[in-house]
Amino acid sequence: MSAVATTAAAPPRRLVKHGILGWLVTTNHKQIGILYICTTLVFFLIAGFLADVIRLQLAGPQQNFVSPHTYNEVFTLHGTAMIFLFIAPFGFGIANFLIPLQCGAADMAFPRLNAFGYWLFLLGGLTVFSGVFAAGGGASAGWYAYTPLSDIRVSSGIGQDLWFIGLTLTSISGILTAINFLVTPIVFRAPGMTMWRLPVFTWEMIATSLLILMAFPPLTAAFAMALMDRHANAHFFDPTRGGDPVLYQHTFWFFGHPEVYVMILPMFGVITEVIAVFSRKPVFGYTGLVLSAFAIAGLSMGVWAHHMFTTGAVNDPFFSAMSFLIAVPTGIKFFNWIATMWRGAISFETPMLFAIGFLLNFLVGGITGVMVASPPIDFQANGSYFLVSHFHYTLGGGSMFAIFAALYFWFPKIWGVKLDERWGRFNFWTMFVGFNVTFAPMLFLGMMGMPRRVYTYPAIPAWHDLNLLASIGTAIITISVASFAWNVIVSSRKREALPEDPWGSAYTLEWATSSPPPELNFDSLPPIRSKRPAFDKHHPELAHTSPP
Amino acid sequence: MVGRLATLAALIGLAGCAAIPNDTTVQAADMHRVWAVFIVAGLAVYVLVGGLILWSALAYRRRDPSVVQANAVHKNTPLEIGWTIAPIIVVAGLFLVTFPAEQHVENMVKRPGEVVQVVAFRWSWRFVYANEHVVVQGTTGSPPELVLPENRTTEIRLTSSDVIHSFWVPSFLFKRMAIPGIVNAFDFTPERAGVFMGRCAELCGTYHAHMSFTVRVLPADQFARWVRARSAA
Repeated sequence: MSAVATTAAAPPRRLVKHGILGWLVTTNHKQIGILYICTTLVFFLIAGFLADVIRLQLAGPQQNFVSPHTYNEVFTLHGTAMIFLFIAPFGFGIANFLIPLQCGAADMAFPRLNAFGYWLFLLGGLTVFSGVFAAGGGASAGWYAYTPLSDIRVSSGIGQDLWFIGLTLTSISGILTAINFLVTPIVFRAPGMTMWRLPVFTWEMIATSLLILMAFPPLTAAFAMALMDRHANAHFFDPTRGGDPVLYQHTFWFFGHPEVYVMILPMFGVITEVIAVFSRKPVFGYTGLVLSAFAIAGLSMGVWAHHMFTTGAVNDPFFSAMSFLIAVPTGIKFFNWIATMWRGAISFETPMLFAIGFLLNFLVGGITGVMVASPPIDFQANGSYFLVSHFHYTLGGGSMFAIFAALYFWFPKIWGVKLDERWGRFNFWTMFVGFNVTFAPMLFLGMMGMPRRVYTYPAIPAWHDLNLLASIGTAIITISVASFAWNVIVSSRKREALPEDPWGSAYTLEWATSSPPPELNFDSLPPIRSKRPAFDKHHPELAHTSPP
Repeated sequence: MVGRLATLAALIGLAGCAAIPNDTTVQAADMHRVWAVFIVAGLAVYVLVGGLILWSALAYRRRDPSVVQANAVHKNTPLEIGWTIAPIIVVAGLFLVTFPAEQHVENMVKRPGEVVQVVAFRWSWRFVYANEHVVVQGTTGSPPELVLPENRTTEIRLTSSDVIHSFWVPSFLFKRMAIPGIVNAFDFTPERAGVFMGRCAELCGTYHAHMSFTVRVLPADQFARWVRARSAA
């Protein structure tokens, strides 16, 4: 607890350097959080632009807007950037900013390790992207780079090497960051902040960090073996020398499925906080929400081979049953969120709109997820646009909507600026409509037999119509993202001093300090006597109603 | 509004069932049933949960802007136990639907009426009818035709000579990966004569989009005639 004592007692010291040098050498968790958030949003814009290229190419059958090889590079980079460089590390960014604040700590447990993690992540991301400028172009073997497609005989370009190396760096970065997310809330909590008073978001990050520590090392191993195969004739995955390409799939998906939850568990935390604040009620079912995060994390370690039903090399019934079971803790979360809204006094500020959008979209992702966990359905859905739609409903309709909820919700805390509500509503509605117009048609395309990762398709009228519809939806999403950027510019111009809690009913500890917080987070810590320290501070007359 | 949501869901369900190809093989009939059950169950869950989300959001919207707390209810143990058990029952039921169909699709007959070795390569297919000494090979520009007898079980022995591919006949509701170094065997029994689209469903490089084939299911006598003509040639 020494860090906290320092926070309260020490006179203001200038630990944070300013200017460009300040950002380069910072070990402050809030600055590192901001670096992550800004970097991942840039990667998001690039990956989104690549999605536009994909949908432009597929708007009609037999178009030649990009060449077949370029198309493969485009969707490989789109998926890689969205998954490894946007959604998961955005979670790291927001968690970096929030975890010490929510625990009442001055910083992370290991600030230098934290900074190292960010720079490793940035280096990894730039390494992946640098492949585009290499001879032979960027990686083009898809975001999971199955061998032998990604081996040196087939993908001989250096772009594939840069892809493996870059993602290995981001993987190590994730492991280092997870150590901080795990140690900080366990060791550096303020007096009164017991584990069972930690915000659900911080709990979700603890579960996420455990998953990272279990799942990222196998990914690093898979990539190391793939690189050795490429350059040292190791033959781990080479069937002509006794190796096994299915082994790569096992090691990759042993990481890959937990990774899905690394991308969604933090967002479950975001949604929990947003719904409670705008429903003006305490979180319903706190214990259930926390335990279900660990149930999801545990189960997700035993479902990897549902990505491999069509290999004919795995025990289908076992992995099917395990995957179905994940619906149970996920269901618990949904019911708790609904119960939090139940009999609330709900207002629809932009974060709440995105949270409700998240619920409705992620529900589709969850239901289609149970469908593809059934092998007889997966035999059709695997590798088709049905699957593309399914995981975009979880990661786009789910995680990305939660990311926008988080941006609107914590923007005042991070930058001291409240984003404009009218542009926010425009941003939400165009995103919600655009998203569903893009991805609902893909469910039907997949059922009808359209495979994913094809740069062109036969001129079947229904396929053309549905693809055109999906492309129109993507144009609407693009407008929506642009409106967010515009909102940031417009809102930043009219700065005004914000109170600690600009929403009026926020309750976690970060809302009990100034917006933005001072260098060491709290000029003085409020007493922590319940799960809602900020709420108790701002509404002492209602403090007795806070859950202990 | 929940009624309107239900109507919309029913329409989506109908469109969904229509989007899945009609029954074409004995195995596809089983899988089609699984699809139908999951689409209906999925839509029921969507209407129920989605309806609850929308209803609670709209019914409990804030009417007095000065309210900072509506109430402080934050747990209800019997309710929470209830909504833990309910999804367990639902997924157990879904597993009971899935398991027999999956077993039926994956179990193979001991004496297939026909055996075809399928070799996938970048970017086409080779179909070898070893017993009849018939080989059909395509090229990227001209996709080959896989000819099958109607109402007889054909065993496919699938492999690849380079990268991983996937053998997919959407109308049969089935695909299987073609993996170098491994022979992946499965069978199906076409029930309807006709021509169906077949294609590669696993990214395999530049011309993945063109790695297609057609499946022609012929009545037994016509199939025998086709075999005779091909083996003579």
